[in-house]
Amino acid sequence: MPKMLMTGNAAVGEAAIRAGCQSYYGYPITPQNELTEYMAANLGRRPGCAFVQAESEIAAINMVYGASVAGVRTMTSSSSPGISLKQEGISYLAACQLPAVIVNMSRGGPGLGSISAAQSDYFQSTRGGGHGDYRTIVLGPGSVQELADLTHHAFELTDKYLIPVIILGDGMLGQMMEPVEFSHEAPEVPPVRQDALRGAKGRPSRFVRTFTSNPPDLEEVNWSLFRRYQLLQKNEVMWENYMTEDARLIVTAFGIAARIAKGAIKQARANGLKIGMFRPITLWPFPGEQLKALSKKTKFFLDFEMNMGQMIEDVKLSLEGAGDVSFHGRPGGVIPTPSEVLRVITRIYYQKGLS
Amino acid sequence: MGMDKYNVFAAALVEKAEYFAPGHRACQGCAEALAVRLVMKALGRDTIVAMSTGCMEIVSSPLPTTSWNVPWIHVAFENSSAVISGCAVGMKALMRKGRVEKRDINFVAMGGDGATADIGMGQLSGMMERGHKAIYVCYDNEAYMNTGIQRSSSTPWGASTTTSPAGSESIGQNTNKKNMPQIAVAHDIPYVATACSSYPFDLMEKVKKATTINGASYIHVLSVCPTGWRIPFDESIKYGRLAVNSGVFPLYEVVNGKYRMTHKPEKFLPITAYMKGQGRFRHLKDTDIERIQQKVLDDYNKILKRCEE
Repeated sequence: MPKMLMTGNAAVGEAAIRAGCQSYYGYPITPQNELTEYMAANLGRRPGCAFVQAESEIAAINMVYGASVAGVRTMTSSSSPGISLKQEGISYLAACQLPAVIVNMSRGGPGLGSISAAQSDYFQSTRGGGHGDYRTIVLGPGSVQELADLTHHAFELTDKYLIPVIILGDGMLGQMMEPVEFSHEAPEVPPVRQDALRGAKGRPSRFVRTFTSNPPDLEEVNWSLFRRYQLLQKNEVMWENYMTEDARLIVTAFGIAARIAKGAIKQARANGLKIGMFRPITLWPFPGEQLKALSKKTKFFLDFEMNMGQMIEDVKLSLEGAGDVSFHGRPGGVIPTPSEVLRVITRIYYQKGLS
Repeated sequence: MGMDKYNVFAAALVEKAEYFAPGHRACQGCAEALAVRLVMKALGRDTIVAMSTGCMEIVSSPLPTTSWNVPWIHVAFENSSAVISGCAVGMKALMRKGRVEKRDINFVAMGGDGATADIGMGQLSGMMERGHKAIYVCYDNEAYMNTGIQRSSSTPWGASTTTSPAGSESIGQNTNKKNMPQIAVAHDIPYVATACSSYPFDLMEKVKKATTINGASYIHVLSVCPTGWRIPFDESIKYGRLAVNSGVFPLYEVVNGKYRMTHKPEKFLPITAYMKGQGRFRHLKDTDIERIQQKVLDDYNKILKRCEE
């Protein structure tokens, strides 16, 4: 099919529809309104599909909860302050082992913050976010095409592992336009999950609940979650190595920050500096082993994020002391330029004596 | 020509001081900004405002500037009524302990229709139920205008918005407008009123009355939005008057359960006078408009009947 010029938000909507998403529950917040509007115009008219604008983010995530328990492929989206409101629902989805896709076109914080792109929700997304001992799968796309591809992947992952998936985009990815190609057609008949509560005819009845009064039973629930988290760590990590072969300094960055860093690295290479980049695509599970493997080639890393240093904790944990990690970050929705990052890269390159 | 040649008669005087200062970034012809300005004039200097996220918050407080000449706090979408409750109780305690000089302060929460009728309704209900001496002002422009015209539960039936787009299979908004003033009345609070910035003296009278009430008050202000309603920028006052005179938005107040119509249209206009020219209703067919006309009359007569009781 031909390439289409779309905003990131619209691309997520189209990819979701093509992944068989049957219901979407939205609530206005900038910078993700285009996604809600896309679903209002395009999902609602499909047979057997529903678009609902909820009265709050909490209502929206709980509509997702209801749709998911009924076995419907379902999605919601918001931006940082709205995602905070959704955390109760996400914790319940995780506890009940219900699949759902949650899109966060994140913006600067804390509080209402700004409506400009930021990566300050890394901790919230990768550490569970709500209460309780749980994780969600977190995908960190770096382009509109990748937003579309990972949206499709998110629906597959969440159904396979019965763990909610967070797509951690940002205001810039959501609102910028790029050519995008969709590799899937919307299924004629949406997939039906076998575990859905649609009547117990021909199978033992099932409970979906989060309250467990007997601690050992709850421990068992946590173990079962944990076992799946281990499987995810083993089988589903995604990452990108960019010019790391001969790199003396490796930049670690995700999402839109990686996109900015790439521009800086190209320029640095043209200047004769041996720089590479490691980009995690699954932010949780974090591709720790793959990063550690790079420390055999160089000991010098520069973590670059659009926050005051969140992923750097995973970088350091993964390297287990085997690397010297510098940091450059811009919080609050300030979007750094490639030339700014180039200056930082160059400074550190010479300071560490890598020339 | 000296003034001694004339007798000056002023029917009503408006406070000169501006507590909502000019220079904010509202759209041209924003009747909501006008409403806020008038409400603040009526409230006066001794006022503390808690405001929900929305158009008025965004346009009036881009750091480091502010339009607010009174203590003002912005809070997330759903929380203004809870914040002002805490503020009212906290100040009461400070005054009782003598830490703050005793005086009469207006505690005012403000929000748009999304903040009021959708996400913040639970907390507003709490504020009214507890009966704080506080005023809640809802500026109703009938959609989430700040984020780009998404429907709210205050959007009227048939209006086209970005999340209730009109088309061959969609009428636009397919539910009726939530009746927030009646929900407030059901809380048995001492004062509930509807108002519109096209009737400035009526609006200010109601706000002044609310400041004298010992308990919670709720004021619902219809705020014409040229951007979202798709009307010319210089006609927002006109459309406010049309809304009132066609019965779409009756101006009334409920004092301790007693209804009073504060403005009776001299000539009751058909709904078409109000809807014509509004882009958000452009797609409606005659049968749809008939349906709306019937509903408007039914609702208006309900209020009228209560006023006559």
